[in-house]
Amino acid sequence: MEQPRINVKFVSQKINKIRWRPRLKQSMQQSDTFVTGSWDDEENKVCLWRQQPLLDDGSRNGMEEELLLREPELLCEARHPGDVSDLCFLTQDHIATASSTGSVLLYKHHTITQRVEAVQEWPDLHISGGRRCPCTCLATYGEDTMLSGGEDGRIAMLSPGQAAPVRVLEKADSCTINALAFLKQSEVLTVNSFGQLKLFDFRQNTDGPAQIFSATDDHWSLLCVDKHPGQLHVVATGSQDGTLTVWDLRQNRFPMTTLDAHQSSMWEVRFHPYHAEHLFTCSEDGSLWHWDASAHASLVASSGRPGGDEGPSGQQSPWLGLEASPKLEINSLICNKSLSVNSLDIEGGLLLCGTDSENIYTLSMPHLS
Amino acid sequence: MASERESEEISVPLPSSEDASLQATWGLGNQLFVYAADRRPAKDTNGEGSDMGHTQSYDILDLRWGQDMHGPTTRKLINESHSVFVMLQGQVTSLSGSALYNQLKEASRQYRSIAKACSLELQLLMSNTVDEGEREYYGNQVELLETMQIIWSLCEILFIDIAPGEMVLVQLLNWVRWHFSAGREMAQDVINDEIPEEHPAYWEAIFRLLLQGEIERVRKLLSLHSCSQTQPFTSVEELLKKMPQWGNLRTVSLAEFDLKWRHWREECMRRYEEGHFTAFAELERVVQVLCGDMLVFSELKDYCETWYHLLISRLLYQNPTVRPTDLAFHVQACMEEFQRAGHRMGHVDNILQAALEFDLHQVIKDSSTSLGDRSWWFGAHLTDILHHCGQIDSQKLPFGSNLREYLLLEYVAGLMSHHSLWQVGVDYLDHCPVFGKEHMKLYIENLPLDSERKANKLIHICEERDLLEQVQSICKIMGVRCSQDGRLGSALSWFLRSKDVPAATRLTEKFLQDYKENGNFSHLDLLDHMGPTMLLTQQLTFLGKYREFHRMYQEKDLKGAASLLLSMLTARAAPRHFWVTLLMDALPLLETPQVILGTSQTYELMHCLEELTQDLTRNTPTSTTPSRASSTPTPQSAGTGVTAAGSSQILSQRDLEKLKLLRLALCRNLSRSIVHEGTIVPL
Repeated sequence: MEQPRINVKFVSQKINKIRWRPRLKQSMQQSDTFVTGSWDDEENKVCLWRQQPLLDDGSRNGMEEELLLREPELLCEARHPGDVSDLCFLTQDHIATASSTGSVLLYKHHTITQRVEAVQEWPDLHISGGRRCPCTCLATYGEDTMLSGGEDGRIAMLSPGQAAPVRVLEKADSCTINALAFLKQSEVLTVNSFGQLKLFDFRQNTDGPAQIFSATDDHWSLLCVDKHPGQLHVVATGSQDGTLTVWDLRQNRFPMTTLDAHQSSMWEVRFHPYHAEHLFTCSEDGSLWHWDASAHASLVASSGRPGGDEGPSGQQSPWLGLEASPKLEINSLICNKSLSVNSLDIEGGLLLCGTDSENIYTLSMPHLS
Repeated sequence: MASERESEEISVPLPSSEDASLQATWGLGNQLFVYAADRRPAKDTNGEGSDMGHTQSYDILDLRWGQDMHGPTTRKLINESHSVFVMLQGQVTSLSGSALYNQLKEASRQYRSIAKACSLELQLLMSNTVDEGEREYYGNQVELLETMQIIWSLCEILFIDIAPGEMVLVQLLNWVRWHFSAGREMAQDVINDEIPEEHPAYWEAIFRLLLQGEIERVRKLLSLHSCSQTQPFTSVEELLKKMPQWGNLRTVSLAEFDLKWRHWREECMRRYEEGHFTAFAELERVVQVLCGDMLVFSELKDYCETWYHLLISRLLYQNPTVRPTDLAFHVQACMEEFQRAGHRMGHVDNILQAALEFDLHQVIKDSSTSLGDRSWWFGAHLTDILHHCGQIDSQKLPFGSNLREYLLLEYVAGLMSHHSLWQVGVDYLDHCPVFGKEHMKLYIENLPLDSERKANKLIHICEERDLLEQVQSICKIMGVRCSQDGRLGSALSWFLRSKDVPAATRLTEKFLQDYKENGNFSHLDLLDHMGPTMLLTQQLTFLGKYREFHRMYQEKDLKGAASLLLSMLTARAAPRHFWVTLLMDALPLLETPQVILGTSQTYELMHCLEELTQDLTRNTPTSTTPSRASSTPTPQSAGTGVTAAGSSQILSQRDLEKLKLLRLALCRNLSRSIVHEGTIVPL
């Protein structure tokens, strides 16, 4: 397989989260703007960057040099109280952040003047015993719903423009909620530090989860979750011991496939948004992996195409029943050993990741654009 | 070493009096907490307690130093060189011989290029700022970085990338060319001029280039002169063209080269003495340089800017095949040349002199004390390479480790004083064989645990290095903090993770207490899914079983619930203070329309009740002041491991009423079960 082209930029801040701005609806254009959040510094920052496109369209001479990735360029930055524990684009120019001080902030990116500023803050959303608890994760649905989860095990539903939370699930979890993902408008998945995957149904009036799935008897903390872009019953989680678990939420008895992966905490897992047979994971051990199930997918005759909802019952996902398959190809994308890779995001053919070595990697994977 | 460092005096705004003395406690890295402490001996003060406790309410000052290297540009330097360092240490263990040697040379070049990039960025920042203070700051930083590169490159030439055949001058020429670029820049200006020879710097450019051995460029400039076709010019052109260049003659030996060069110089001298060039004074000077004339170098020394440039220039025309070890003989003369002109020799001059005299220890010593805040970066990385090259004897210094480790530890101290560079510091400590681990333990214990994420990262670091005690301690801190905040679930997950039996036991007590107060369980998502982890402690197992009992009861599995309850009591798994609750839980099971508990089970329960009541009557204090200490565990409880603390409780009046009720219910159930089982057939 062709090795991706890589650019490494040192940015003088440990990157905790990195996110592409979503491309405009119906647009075929690769997004060129992304946002990063730092952590563990005396003064943390939210920064917006522009990644120049890979090639100038006019100068495609077949010259090797011209295919080099350019450096991302800093557009603007703003201070952030506490560590940036999570980041989400709510709209094209609104960015929500979760802070280790227990609050959630909303930033607006003024694209014309190239400024970014905080426009709203929900302070002290996550508090326990009078002490502020880090807010650990965020998820958005549409342009007006945000959820935050924290070390206090609470989930707060927020709406921009509204000062008070729309709803708070006081006892959503007995442990720390490490990540959130919307399954549908009314259904949310969470993972916690007791190794559980929970499904919450907001149509119900209780605080508790509709379903609880346990990963292992060891209760390794689950740190990240991502849902398959097309098949809503397929969910991937990453755990503290570095294993990747793929869940089939339709199954009650044996819902998951567990794959040994990294040597340490898996901080993030992402399906490719348009080519869901590709999955990416990054870890505390400083590695970034590309899981390619496309060979397996072509074996599974009626593989689900992105965009299709839960199809006919016969539909199979390449990600289920992987243990038995030798057709999964795993590539390590960063050769140099660095400190922890904390976050990754992929949009089209460009993969980003941010590390504790204070750099941003941009990797071009043209076959996925 | 430390004693020779420049000292700086800081006055501390603390009250000073006869009774108070200045005390200090170490913070993280370059950080000291300073406060005034009472000097008068307190009666219960011994050595270790003296810095605590009896201070008056004075301020505590947070003193930090060496923080200058924390600017954003320096952070790039630190992080980039970190990855080079880590990779090199890997290669040191995996490679040997020339493969390793090549990597060491490569690493040395990488460090230099990182410093260069850093300096370029600072220059850019300097040109973009309008603030005078900032400009000065950046200027100083750039100068410092450039100085480091000069020293580093020289060390690289002399100690790391040693030229084969001892022809060191070629590299030294490259060294001065790289660091003194004024000649080339001038030449460019001159060439761009309409009439080059009338450019004020025409001859200066020629001399500067000549002194750096840039023969091609000199010829180019001379050819631009309007008289370039006259005899004197063509003569010089011929001499320059003939000048033996080592680079072109790689195949010849040093002796052959020397011979060729002597021939060439004789020709230069001959032509000079024949007076070919008297018409052009400047041209004559050029030939004087070629002849290696002592006096002309003194005249031209300002074009060299520094004594070490002059040294290289002189050697080029006087002794091009000089051996590295002979360099030192020429140093003094060149330095004096500049000293006579009023130049004062500074730190850099001393360091370079020491290098040329092959006194590496002096180089490192002086660099570490005089290169400002980045000196530890410089010293640590350079010494590491020199160490692996075998250039520094790895003898132990008086404090127990070698020079390399000493400098690495100093560098780490700077990193650790920074808010977020501790992860980098840890990797350096890994390569300090003597004190690395001990330092790491101390640093780790002092790092603030702001979030679970950070705690997890720290635990990962500890687990990788087998620092299990530190893992335990981190889990305990996190767990206790959660527990204090009322997050019992999270607390339990931390204690389960570190398999901390005492802490988990205490926490389980809290869960049970919580249940007794509220009459229902919280944290069901946790309790219902504990699985085998509940076996960690007896208490936790009991908690899990007790929750299972409630679930069975709710699910109307009354028989199952009853036998589970009974097994919990008879196995003495329950803490004694919880027995009342457990027994009361039996009450509804005794009152059901069907008989659930058989005779033998009822007997068991009666036995338990009796045991508890006797226990309590024995322990109920007769005096008016009940005290915890007065309670002694019963023989049974001691034998079965039920905690002694649990039995010290005193039953409330309400509990006593309840127990009476239970006794009644037990009796009724006994008679019902006798009838039901038909064990005693009425006559």
